[in-house]
Formats: sequence, structure tokens, C-alpha cells
Amino acid sequence: MAIVKTENTPARAAPLTERSIIGWMSKNLFSSVFNSILTIVTLYVIYITVKDLWVWGIGDAVWIAETRRECFTISIDGACWAGVIAWFDNIFYGRYPREELWRINLGAILLFIWMAPLWLPRVKAKVFIAVTTVFLYPFLAGYLFAGGDKGIFMQVMITAAIVCLVANTLHSIIGVSNGTSLPGLVLRLLGKNNAPEKSQRIILFSILLVCFIVVYLWQMSWSAQGVSWTKWGGLFLTFVIAGVGIASALPGGIVLALGRRSKLPVIRVLSTAFIELFRSVPLITVLFMATTMFPLFMPEGFILNKLTQVIIAVCLFNACYMAETVRAGLQAIPRGQFEGAHTIGLGYWGTMGLVVMPQALKHMIPNIVGTFIGLLKDTTLVSIIGLFDILGMLRSVSRDTPWIGLHKEPLIFGAILFFLICFAMSKYSRHLEVKLSTGHKK
Amino acid sequence: MALGDSRSKTDQVKPKDQFDLLHDERVRSVVYQLLTAAVVGWVGWYLFTTTAHNLEMRGMDSGFGFLGFEAGFDPAFRLVAYEVGVGTYGDIFLIGILNTLYISFLSIIAMTLVGFSVGVLRLSNNWLVAKVALAYVEIFRNTPLLIQVIFWYTGIFSLLPQIRNSLDLSAGAEVVLLNNRGLYLPWPVPGDLLWMTGLALGIAIILAVLFRRWAHKRQDITGQLIPTLIPGAALIVFLPGIVYWMTGSPLGWEIPELEGFNFAGGATLPPAFLALFVALTIYHSAHLAESVRAGILSVGPGQSDAAMAIGLRKNRLMSLVIIPQAMPAIVPPMISLWMNVVKNSSLAIAIGYPDLVAVFMQTSLNQAGHAIEIVGMTMAFYMFVSLTISWLLNIYNKRVQLVER
Repeated sequence: MAIVKTENTPARAAPLTERSIIGWMSKNLFSSVFNSILTIVTLYVIYITVKDLWVWGIGDAVWIAETRRECFTISIDGACWAGVIAWFDNIFYGRYPREELWRINLGAILLFIWMAPLWLPRVKAKVFIAVTTVFLYPFLAGYLFAGGDKGIFMQVMITAAIVCLVANTLHSIIGVSNGTSLPGLVLRLLGKNNAPEKSQRIILFSILLVCFIVVYLWQMSWSAQGVSWTKWGGLFLTFVIAGVGIASALPGGIVLALGRRSKLPVIRVLSTAFIELFRSVPLITVLFMATTMFPLFMPEGFILNKLTQVIIAVCLFNACYMAETVRAGLQAIPRGQFEGAHTIGLGYWGTMGLVVMPQALKHMIPNIVGTFIGLLKDTTLVSIIGLFDILGMLRSVSRDTPWIGLHKEPLIFGAILFFLICFAMSKYSRHLEVKLSTGHKK
Repeated sequence: MALGDSRSKTDQVKPKDQFDLLHDERVRSVVYQLLTAAVVGWVGWYLFTTTAHNLEMRGMDSGFGFLGFEAGFDPAFRLVAYEVGVGTYGDIFLIGILNTLYISFLSIIAMTLVGFSVGVLRLSNNWLVAKVALAYVEIFRNTPLLIQVIFWYTGIFSLLPQIRNSLDLSAGAEVVLLNNRGLYLPWPVPGDLLWMTGLALGIAIILAVLFRRWAHKRQDITGQLIPTLIPGAALIVFLPGIVYWMTGSPLGWEIPELEGFNFAGGATLPPAFLALFVALTIYHSAHLAESVRAGILSVGPGQSDAAMAIGLRKNRLMSLVIIPQAMPAIVPPMISLWMNVVKNSSLAIAIGYPDLVAVFMQTSLNQAGHAIEIVGMTMAFYMFVSLTISWLLNIYNKRVQLVER
């Protein structure tokens, strides 16, 4: 007699310790006596901390009040968030004229519009978009923020920026809707998409030129009211300094890193000395150097304002840090890549630009973003030498007559703000790392 | 070798008869280097002449003579004797360096201990503890250090009770007191025969080391495991202890006493010091915790499997297998974090702890001018510290590499 089972035996359910919440708890929280004690102690500590923070920060907190004294009369033990709320505009925009705030907001929106296509999957020529963001957007934004008299150079740059912004945006819309590029669509509309490449180029170039002239003539008709840099402040100023720092740190860092790995001794020694000099001293000494020594370096009658001095110092400092990050990435590239590039006949710049650098940068994305985060955090140091960046503004709250002595709340608000920005950046870099990894993983 | 072959082949392919000046690699490299050197030299020369001209125009003298001038201000905290009206800028430089090194040293010790603990807790198999450690790391890593420093200073240590209502940290004994003027600690006053206790301590340490060596040798020969930790510790504690007791306890403690409006006696750490110390410790320990975690994780799971297979218990597994292999991955980032502590101690300037940058680069520079000399000296100090630390790091790396091979 044969026993033949015609049906599969249903799989038994996993043991209780593997699937229920109690099983999970017994495994992760109460696996031994010591662990159980640890869990209970930790829970108690969390309870105390969270309860105190909750009562102080939310439960007993005062949200609406005119002065700190009023806060005290409402609740003596709670946080006085009313002071932070009253200073909201100052914390974000500094002392920028209130009727001109739209310029800062417009600048932020333009940056978003400019960079958004980088995240859209079907858009082509992302490198072009990224490069124009770094090299043209600052001029447009700079004029938007500072205003005043446009020199001929600024007019050209602003025009170029506007043309580029419009072209990028149209290009991205076209790319998302039907997967082609702006030049491709223009040529098809003109019925020249089968014309020889040279005549295509001429057509595109002349269209660009016409656009440029039209925009140039248009931009001559308006100008923005001048706002002195001394009025800049708050988170806006922090972003300006950090933004310029970030935009210049990567190119500067790449140049310095290549210099340090160069085969030419003079270039190598100079780059190494420069990098090591700035990396071994604290940023605050570099800032002091900028404000006390730069005036001595300048020819007579040529005065840099404090903001420019600070930005130069921040750029130099961060380029050196970025250089070391990039160098670490370069070192991780196996020799075979260099040799392979040589074999197919690429020279130094071809090898570096097309083969080595893309891999090195991709490899180092988390570290590069880490350096950017460090840069953003370090930007708060400019408050020490008297610029009213976000930290300067947060500290000013406690010196404002109605809110005198209000220290903790503004600082905690600033800390939360920075935490959100930096934490999001680092999480995003992890995500990018996973997305861009092209299978070197086991 | 494949590499050599490919090189010699390209050499053969290259046409030898036509020497192209523009495309010859050697010519190019010389030209590039000369160009760079010329540009850098020109910039240097230009800066030098403009600076000299500017100094002359403003009637400023240069040189280090100012270091002998009377400074005329008193740093709020110092480790060496200094008298206002007599002390010079040179003394101020020294005070600043000592203050910077003092706070850096203490913060480095504390941040190493905390960082290692948090790093290990990050890997705890207790989910709750691991998450709490994660929260600690993420919160303190992602907020600017300067905000933390100022928060601890203005939000915590300046808001402590007044002198009269000092917090007693010694549980009723009133010897360790904390108030808004700082932390008051008892300070040891050595008696006459204290050197004997010191001598005993030295002897005990030497004996313990010798005992440990002997035990190791014995283990190599016989395989017998002799516990060294507890006997060694007992030796180090009891030998000096007995000598101290026999010589009649020759160590007095100077206890802070309330006199008028302030405490006298004992040692005092000002609030700015405490705030900076706490902030530096927490901020850098959060960074160190990540390095420690990464270092421990870098030791593959096969290592602990193998160790357990040959019957090592959990604590031996950690001390004999995991930690020795994790250390080479932990120490280099840890040492560069130490360097960061020294550099970041310069944030003292924001809360008035008189470190080198605050007393020398700010106050002295504002009073005496001499920007170039002062900035140069300050930077030279930090560069010296940095070079020393990277020298230590190189020594360590060499030793580790030798062990590996």
C-alpha cells in the first residue's frame, strides 16, 4: 500500500516568537534579565525627558503674547514661543526691507524652477542645467537681492541667466511631455529636422541670439531698488553664504584635488600646502584673517565689504575640505580605469573628466553631501564676526526690549530648523547613493 | 609585467623623428610648472608689496616687539599666574594656548569615553537602547556646534541658581557646588610625605606590568590562563593605599567656602568653560559614535562565528577578536576628531571663555593691532597641533600595518 499525498501540506505558521508583537518584544527588548532592566531604565529616562520637554515646550508653552513679561504672567514654567513668532520675519529675512521681501522669495522660487528638472527622469542634458545653475543663477539672484545700478556686465549676465532659465524650463516641459529636447522640437517645428547639422546649428544659434537681444532690451526697462548688504540677514543670509560656498567648493575642491595628485611637483606642492594650511586651522581664524588682513592686501582705495570678505574666506576654507573628499574618491578608483582610458586614447583631461571624476564623485556622494552639511553648519560662525545671519538674529531676540533675556526658545527653534535641513540632506544623500550605485556591491 | 609591456609598445608607436614642441609631455610639464610658479610668485609679490605699502601709509609698524608690551587686561580664566599691568601680550599668548589645550584635553577624554559608549549602544541588541543612541547621534550631529555652545551657555549654565542657592552635586556634603558663577570643586593640597604614595603607585604599576608579561609568557609556554586584571588592579589600589595610610594620609583637600558674596578656596570652573566642555563633548561624541559603529561593523560576521566556533565566550570574543580588528578602522577618524575638538574649541569666543582666539586674536588684536603677526602666530599654533596629531596618526598607522602583514 502506498501513501500518496495529493495535496501540499499547508505551511505551518511561524512560531509566536517570530510574528506577534509580544514575540518581537521578547526578542528585542527583554531577551535577558540585563536587557529587561536596561529597557525599563531607558523607558523611564525617555518618559522623564519627553514629559518635561512636552510640558515646557508644548503643554505649558505660551504662543500668543506681546512681551516676555506677559508670557510669564500666563505661564511661568512654559516656553515663550511668542517671542520667536514675533521675530519670525527677522529670523528668516534679517532686516531686509519688508516691502521688498518678494525679491528673496522670488529668488528662492527661481532657484527651485531652475533646479527642479534635475529630479525629473525624462529630461535630457541635466549637466547643462546643473552647470548653468552654478554659473548663471548667482548673477540673477545676486542682482535680485542686492538691486541697484546694473553695470553692463551684470546686464549681460542677467540676460544670459533669464534666457537660460526660460530655455531650461521649456526644455524640461517638452522633455517630460514627449521625451524630446527643446532644440529638437524647434527644428521639427521649422521642418528642418533633417537638415545638415551645420545649418541646424546656425538656425539654433540665431534663434538664441534673437532671444538674447529681446531679453536684453526688455531687462533694460526695469531695475530693482538697491538694498545694502548690511540689511541682509537671517536664514536668507545663511543660505546666501552657504550657497556661494557650496557652489564654489566643488569646482575649487576638484581643481585642488587634481593639483594635489598631479605628477608635476610644483603644482603638487603648492596644492598640498594650500590645502593643509586651511585644513589645520579653525574656520574662525580664517574669518578673522579675512576681516583683519584682507584690507591690508588690497590696493589703496579698494575696499571689500565684510560680506565679500566672509564669502571669500568660506569659499577658500571649504574648497580645501572638499579637495580632501574628492581626493579620497580619486584614490578609490582602481588603476585599471586610468589605464583603460589611456588605452582608448584619452589624454589627461579626457581621462579625468570622462572616466575617473564621474566615478570618483559618484562614489563620494555621501561624503560630499556631508561636507556640504558641515559647511551649512559652519556658516553660523559668521555671527561671531558681526554678520546677522540666522544665529545672529536668534541671539538678537534676547536683546530686543520686549523679549529681553529670551535665550533658549530662539536657539531651540534654530536648532530644529538646522536639524530638519541637515537631516533631510543626509537622508537624501543615502538615497542617492543607493540609486546611483551601478553594481559594485556584492 | 603587463604594465611595462604596454608602455614600451606606446613608446614604439610614437614617431621619434618629429619632435613636436607643443605636444611633448616633458616640455608641457615644465611650461605648466613654470607658469604656475610665476603666477603664484607674482601674486605673493603683489600682496607683499601692497601690504608693505599699506602698513607704511597707515603708519603701522611690524615685527614681534609688541609681544613685550603690557597687555593691560585680565583673562577671566587662566592656569598660570598673571598680573594686570605687568603681564605682556606674550603672556596672553601663553595663557590662551594653555586655556585652549586645557579645555581640548578634557573634552577629548570625555568625548572619547562617551563616543565609544554611544557607538557600542548603537549596536545593542536591545532595540530601544539602539534607537535612543541613534536619536542622540542624529540630533547632535545635525545641529551646528555653535548653536549648541551658545545654548548650553545662555540657556543652561547662566540660568543656574545664585551663589546662595548653589546646587550641591556631592549629595549634602557641600564640597562640589554648581551655580551661575561656575562649578566649585575641592582642590588637593599635597602634604610632606605624599611623594612616598606616588612612589608606591609607580612601583605598583611596574609590578603589575611585569606580572602581566610573566603571565603572558607562561600562557604561551604552558597554555595556562592566569587572570591578571584583578590581581593587577588590586596591586595598584592597595599598595599605594597602604603606604598612604601608613604615612598618615598626607593629602589635604581645600574645600570651597562661602565668603561674603563668593566662594573662596578650591578650584573654580567658569560657566563658559562648562558650557563649552559639555557642547564639545556631546557634539564630537556623536560623530565618534558613528565611527565606532562603522569600525565594529567593518569586522565581518565570519570573525565572530569563527571565534564562537573555537569556544570563545562573548567578552573574550569582543576583547580578543572584534576590538583588535575594529581599532585600525576606528582610530584614524577618532584622531581627526580629536583635532576637530582642538579646532572647535575656538568657538569659545562666542561665550567668552578666554581661549587663544578670544584673548589673542580678538582682544589683543583689537588693542595692539599687528594683524599679520597675531593671525600668523595663532594659525601657526593650530598648525603645530595639527601636525603633531597627524604625526601621531602616522606612527599608529605604521604600527597597525606592521601587525597586519
